[in-house]
Amino acid sequence: MITKTILEQIEGEASLYFDMKEDVVDFVTIAFPHFRGMEKMLEGKSALDALVITPRVCGICGHSHLLASVRAIEDAYKNSGFAIAVTKKASKVRELTLILELVQNHFKWIYLVLVPHLKELSGSEELLNTPLKGAYGASLATKILAIFAGQWPHSSYMIPGGITSDFTYVDLTKAKSHLQKLTEYFETETLGVSVEEFLSFESCKDFVSLESDFAKIERLLIDLGMQKKGHAKDAFLSIGIHEFSYAAKVKGTRLFKIAAKYVQTQEAYTPDEKSYAKNALYKNQFYETGPLARCMAKEFKLIKNMHRRFKDSAYTRVMARIYETAYLLTFCKKLLTEIDINESSCVESVSLKNISGIGEGVVEAPRGPLIHRVQIKEGIIKSYKIITPTQYNIASSTKENPSPAQQAMMNCSQADAKFIFRTFDVCSVCTTH
Amino acid sequence: MARVTKEERKNGIISAALELFSENGFYITTIPDIAKKVGMSVGNFYNYFSSKDILAKELIMYISEYLGKNIRAINESDANTQEKIEQIVSMYFDTAKQRPEMIEYFLRVYLSNREVFKDGCEGMICVSPFITEMMIFFENGVASGELHDQDFFSAFGLFMGYLGGMVFLYGEKILPEPLDDYKQSISENIYNALKTRT
Amino acid sequence: MHLKQEHKLKIFWLQGLTCNGNAHSFLNLDYLGELLEKIEFVHHPLLPSKYSLTEMVKCKTSCDILIFEGAYDPSLKRADVFVDKILRHYAKNAKYIIAVGTCASFGGIFKATSPKTNSGILFNEAEKNGPLQEYNAKIINLSGCPVHPEWLGFTLNMIIDRHKIVLDEEHRPQELYSSLVHHGCTRNEYFEWKVDADDFGQKEGCLFYKKGCRAPMTHGSCNTILWNGVNSKTRSGTPCFGCTESDFPRANLFETKTNMSIPADAPVGVPKRAYLTLTGIAKTFHIKRLEEPLIDYKNNT
Repeated sequence: MITKTILEQIEGEASLYFDMKEDVVDFVTIAFPHFRGMEKMLEGKSALDALVITPRVCGICGHSHLLASVRAIEDAYKNSGFAIAVTKKASKVRELTLILELVQNHFKWIYLVLVPHLKELSGSEELLNTPLKGAYGASLATKILAIFAGQWPHSSYMIPGGITSDFTYVDLTKAKSHLQKLTEYFETETLGVSVEEFLSFESCKDFVSLESDFAKIERLLIDLGMQKKGHAKDAFLSIGIHEFSYAAKVKGTRLFKIAAKYVQTQEAYTPDEKSYAKNALYKNQFYETGPLARCMAKEFKLIKNMHRRFKDSAYTRVMARIYETAYLLTFCKKLLTEIDINESSCVESVSLKNISGIGEGVVEAPRGPLIHRVQIKEGIIKSYKIITPTQYNIASSTKENPSPAQQAMMNCSQADAKFIFRTFDVCSVCTTH
Repeated sequence: MARVTKEERKNGIISAALELFSENGFYITTIPDIAKKVGMSVGNFYNYFSSKDILAKELIMYISEYLGKNIRAINESDANTQEKIEQIVSMYFDTAKQRPEMIEYFLRVYLSNREVFKDGCEGMICVSPFITEMMIFFENGVASGELHDQDFFSAFGLFMGYLGGMVFLYGEKILPEPLDDYKQSISENIYNALKTRT
Repeated sequence: MHLKQEHKLKIFWLQGLTCNGNAHSFLNLDYLGELLEKIEFVHHPLLPSKYSLTEMVKCKTSCDILIFEGAYDPSLKRADVFVDKILRHYAKNAKYIIAVGTCASFGGIFKATSPKTNSGILFNEAEKNGPLQEYNAKIINLSGCPVHPEWLGFTLNMIIDRHKIVLDEEHRPQELYSSLVHHGCTRNEYFEWKVDADDFGQKEGCLFYKKGCRAPMTHGSCNTILWNGVNSKTRSGTPCFGCTESDFPRANLFETKTNMSIPADAPVGVPKRAYLTLTGIAKTFHIKRLEEPLIDYKNNT
């Protein structure tokens, strides 16, 4: 018997159609109900207008869309014979603000999604609901971002050639100070240990002595058996090219080369309701994306250890997101020391009117690879295609060939399945654009 | 006989000065020359204009305001751009005929003796009322879709260079026909050069 | 005085066709915790709330303040119920209806999803013919893409403290929207002397003439109430895109529309004649200091 549940608090909603067999999920399909026609909206517009419009695909990861957009446009410049060499400074600042958006996202996910639902599922009274910790951490991360990008949400400070901001050491000093404050906040409020020490952990045994939100979360996940549930494809994609990530296709623990051109979309299988989301596949197969995928591609010891014991369980997935937050905070600190004020913020490029051709921009957004594909004719957009990370994870396919989320939810109780669904960190608005 | 107002006296000086400057040149004409033509003492003259250089600048501003006022009236009328061009050309040529000393002063004193105007009349600040009205004319013409969008100075140079050139030829008595006879062809040429291209 | 004893205003944050940007912007409010002590969210899409959306759409309850985010789309459903129905039910008894963001205020970006049917809740771009006209007297528009958290914080506090909020003709609080985004921009001196930025990426130069900056034509307080407490678009070299206005988004956002080299739009309320006269004079003079970089990193004195 198929029952419908509407899940909220996923940057929108989704309808889950559970097919239960004796209180266990036999199969589930997922439909996303809303549509905004953003790809069509971009047709006929000047390519630079995409830098203002695509961030509005999503309120929580709009900055990732900005970077994907500018990369796609710069790629079109290259394919038109006018390649642009962005300076190291501009490249590093773009990377820095991108990373800060990931940090902001994870803070919110931990305290607005994970904690309340973990608490609800486990009935724990020890773990307290503290949504303001998520809001505060996120606001501090975006404050640092805004020092360079002008504002968050919805900055458009990345343009072909680099960035618009010509910041000073005063700004860098402020950024470093706020980052220190943010890192200490995360260490004190969430981890219960310094990030350096946390990142040096090699196995879950190292958590035993911790007393913190993280420790409580970890123990509750074990209590709920989440290390034995929520397994997906045990296959991962990390596609965006960045300093902080490593681009690779991962099967189990084996790394392979990867190329964005093999990503294609297909219609979702949702017999009970029309879905406005399309499935994203790599060489016609389903792969998981996001923090766990990126951690596997970087071969972080702690995550590999968890993976050896628990594979791509819901436990591993949650731990990877928290681990990535710690990793990104230290990476930001490193980036800030590498920025050279004396380099130019934006290099010259020919007028957009000269650009005719296709371009692709790929970025690691909070939930995984984000791809923008644009076709430009004399500076005007002829077509624009956006493929978001949730399309890989929360694809909806048949029982014979389930997507990562579908597979992860099968053979669990419905309550467990709904929690496992959320461990993928779903973004409904991105997926339906 | 009614007493002449200060305003009228000032305008009298302006007219006289314009005539003398365009007839005899800027450097040859002296303050006593102008004062004599107006019928006032040199001392009294200095109550109106404290130096020859200041007089020179006030003259160009006076002309600029005069032309600017007339073009403004044309800008604010209901005419379309082609008609406005005809009206501007007509106004300019009529001024050249009825008050030749004004256009003469502009061409032969202002444009030709830059050293007189370099302090206090830098760039286009002394011809601002006239330039501003031409900017508004051009902006409206493009905004309404009648004129082709291009750089302001390209269009301005074409329009005003053309008119100035014609008035110069008129002043030299080179034109075979009366100035009025040229209004239509010149207006057409200007409109055809500046109008939207399909 | 403990507000807990008094009736806390009940707020329902309902979404139309949106990107959630306003909800996320709100979470950046400095004094969010303090504000949450004074109000109760019967439903919010991100924060813990009394009821889920599924419960709210049964329309069995009411709220004191209805916050609407996103464009009004008559075909949109949330939790299987038409947003139009949910909106009208809660609008009736709410004391105030706050449209957060430009989509809810005027239609914004998501009007383009379906231009003939989508709009703001009171305004459809510049025309006042949106779906909630009958509640005209209690609608406040907080336009912006997204809304600045302090603009919403201010509005809620004014309501809590029972202060009258003076609105402009587009129902936006005058204390926030009577100034222009231009006020407080660090590049103002370049605007005054018409020293235009030819390229992006420099702290010097005004972005108005060549780079599409709409700040002199846009109502808002981005350069006085800074974004994220630290910055703004124009301070960081990005042109203002006019996102608080009813014509957002325009086209060719990084370019200034000129007709024969003359800007098509002059600052709000400034006659073209006046603007051009002043510009002509400013452009005549070259102020050396303004034509050089502000900081000479090679100066070794």
